[in-house]
Amino acid sequence: MSDTKRLVVLGIVGATLDSGKGAKRWEKWRPTVSLGQMEDLLPHRIELLVEPKFTALGRQVVEDLGAVAPDCTVQLHGTNFADPWDFEEVWRTLYEFARSHRFDPENEEYLLHITTGTHVQQICMFLLAESRHIPARLLQTSPITRRDRRERQDRRVGRYSIIDLDLSKYDSIAQRFDAERAEGVSLLKQGIPTRNAAFNRMMDQIERVALASTAPILLTGPTGAGKTRLAKRIYSLRSQRRTVTGDYVEVNCATLRGDAAMSALFGHTRGAFTGAVSDRAGLLKAADGGLVFLDEIGELGLDEQAMLLRAIEEGVFVPLGADREVRSDFQLIAGTNKDLVVAVGRGEFRSDLLARINLWTFRLPGLSERIEDLEPNLEFELESFARHQGRRIAFNAEARTRYLDFATGAEATWAGNFRDLNASVTRMGTLAPGARITADVVDEEVTRLRSDWRDVGDETGAPTSFGACRALVAEVLGDEVAQSVDRFELVQLADVFGVCRRSRTMSEAGRRLFAESRKARSKTNDADRIRKYLLKWGVTFAEVTTK
Amino acid sequence: MIVLDGTHGEGGGQILRTALSLSLLTGAAFTLERVRGGRSRPGLLRQHLCAVQAAASIGGAYVEGAELGSQRVLFAPSGQLAGGTYRFAIGSAGSAMLVLQTVLVPLLHADGPSTVTLEGGTHNPMAPPLPFLQSSFLPLLRRMGADVRLRLDRPGFYPAGGGRAVLEVTPSTLRPVEVRRGSGVTVRAVATVANLPPSIAERELKKLRRQLREHAPTLEQEELTASLSPGNLVRVEVEHGDEVACFVGFGERRRRAENVAARVAGQVLRWLESGAAVEEHLADQLLLPMAWAGGGAFDVDVLSEHTRTNVHTIAQFMDVPVTLEERGEGAGVRVGRNALR
Repeated sequence: MSDTKRLVVLGIVGATLDSGKGAKRWEKWRPTVSLGQMEDLLPHRIELLVEPKFTALGRQVVEDLGAVAPDCTVQLHGTNFADPWDFEEVWRTLYEFARSHRFDPENEEYLLHITTGTHVQQICMFLLAESRHIPARLLQTSPITRRDRRERQDRRVGRYSIIDLDLSKYDSIAQRFDAERAEGVSLLKQGIPTRNAAFNRMMDQIERVALASTAPILLTGPTGAGKTRLAKRIYSLRSQRRTVTGDYVEVNCATLRGDAAMSALFGHTRGAFTGAVSDRAGLLKAADGGLVFLDEIGELGLDEQAMLLRAIEEGVFVPLGADREVRSDFQLIAGTNKDLVVAVGRGEFRSDLLARINLWTFRLPGLSERIEDLEPNLEFELESFARHQGRRIAFNAEARTRYLDFATGAEATWAGNFRDLNASVTRMGTLAPGARITADVVDEEVTRLRSDWRDVGDETGAPTSFGACRALVAEVLGDEVAQSVDRFELVQLADVFGVCRRSRTMSEAGRRLFAESRKARSKTNDADRIRKYLLKWGVTFAEVTTK
Repeated sequence: MIVLDGTHGEGGGQILRTALSLSLLTGAAFTLERVRGGRSRPGLLRQHLCAVQAAASIGGAYVEGAELGSQRVLFAPSGQLAGGTYRFAIGSAGSAMLVLQTVLVPLLHADGPSTVTLEGGTHNPMAPPLPFLQSSFLPLLRRMGADVRLRLDRPGFYPAGGGRAVLEVTPSTLRPVEVRRGSGVTVRAVATVANLPPSIAERELKKLRRQLREHAPTLEQEELTASLSPGNLVRVEVEHGDEVACFVGFGERRRRAENVAARVAGQVLRWLESGAAVEEHLADQLLLPMAWAGGGAFDVDVLSEHTRTNVHTIAQFMDVPVTLEERGEGAGVRVGRNALR
């Protein structure tokens, strides 16, 4: 009718949902074809983006729409999404389409069909509509459930709903994306409901980075902080969201030395060196299309570092003894507990490689730095013990209190971090009589942990190496300050910060820091001394302990 | 201006189609308020919109509210019914046969012969399917004096549609007719498949043979080619005297072929038992041509809400009395002042 605007639907030909062969395809719900089958929707035109490799499918969709909606014109736009799972790539392609497309909102009304396409394409379409780059309302289609067919005699081919972002009626979609994001973050945390706000914030960020980018990620933090687990989880998340197709490959660089290192990573040809009796593809090739986790990357030799840099930047490298380059497209996650900046200073690590992998750096705190997460992690360890041993164990109430008191108290340094917690639970679980961890078992375990940690580090929680001192100061006061402070001051600062962090109150910190002089005084106000000292550096006790 | 309430009676599309036909025939304009007001998705759906557009094109009508979802339609025909060549393409969701139903009788009174190509669904469970029209309704209409032919070019099953049928109409005058149950019946069962294994048709026929064994049906299997989608229907044609009653059942996914056949057989047996001349669906179709012819009579075994709605709608446009003498589920239906008997 001339007084109403023409209805135009924009969408993507769905490689899976819209496919179907032979006459049987009509028995299947195909979202894009269903647009022409609705009794109460009559598009004047349907414009479909189709990847070149799905052109035949696109033509079939056009033909079938011609049968069900004879008055509707259907246009195919060949669009090359080099990688339809790559956020940046998809965003750019759709953004360019939106910019170059001539919209005529005076005469046409647009609906953006977001049911087909990859997850990433759907999100990008949602965002483009939300930002009004595409002046459309969102259109979602869904099949009629078998139940509705049976019980309500619903014979329709499918249903649809229109969501007008201008009217903010998109809660359900926004929630869907939010829910999936939350799910992703939870996956990264292995479902552990961690409480440390900084850690949770970091997991949010990692989730976003992991899904939006394939750039290298650097995970730092003390040994046992969970770098390996996290790398694996990032892979699971990306694999679940189908933003990665290849395998997960993990290697600890400390175990690679000499020729073996080169060949393990990059492969070799037969006869490349003594013992190279056959071709070997190498780990980077094995991770083509996937993800490589190089733990303790600081231990990698300089030659391997150079080769790795090129492999990251150009996706090619030369296997040992080969005269031709090999291509592999992998994402790198590197792990280190070394200060790589220091390693660069000593000439042990290439500064260009560090620059390349330092784009997304996340420092995983040790267990003692997020002691409030000990309890949820304890639950997790109990669960996973049950899973692996096939035997559920539990603390009795007294034992639980006793264990938590010790584990979250000042004495527990958790020098080996989550690895220590895992070992501790395994021991208690194994020794637990009748699947109950009793107070006796806990007492034994506490004694054991004390002796394990006795000679490791500093019982006050203060960092024991200069690198760690600097990292801690940088964390609290920022990189700039940390770099401008003399070693003389820095070590003291780090010690004070470390003790503060392991103390519940300023007074407790005061008792430790001024333990000797207290003996000589009748009146003490150590808390105030600490407050003033911290104030000199522009921070409060609360900031030191929560940052 | 005739004002109709869309929620009356059946409350669906029937009132609109009947009103369109009668408006074209009588030249009276009408407004339909609360179109499909009683339904979960009220307002015009695509198939209704097609019917409005088709009626408007043959009657040169002025139309308001001819858009999807519209809950008020104003239709004012020019008074001229133009014969000629038409093509009405209906999307899969609706049946092309419903559009045929809307324009058929008016075209008998057009200023010249017409050839109407109907594209879309021809075999649709929610409408009189083409074989029903061909075997039951059109022969009766021809007996009333209509010069009509209907040809199937390509079957269109729900939900793909894509079928094509051609209707040829030569202007002619309808005469009153009384339909009576003829003595002696010949039963013919036809099972049709398209893009489906013939075994489905075999199972349906086997069931029909058993259930209708008292009436010794002839069994036929029919395979339609050129259909886009899979499709299956079974029909039983009961010839009695000059008339044919036709009963149709459609196969559906997850519905056993035997059940499809058994349900049709049940309808056949009930109708045979009732002694009525006409079954439920033919009754819906017959009222309008009979009213336009000025007379007619028949007994029906099941009086449907569609038929009642038609009676009501006809009364809004024409001064032809229609009396319903209800007997149980069925009724004796009498159209016109002069008793035929």
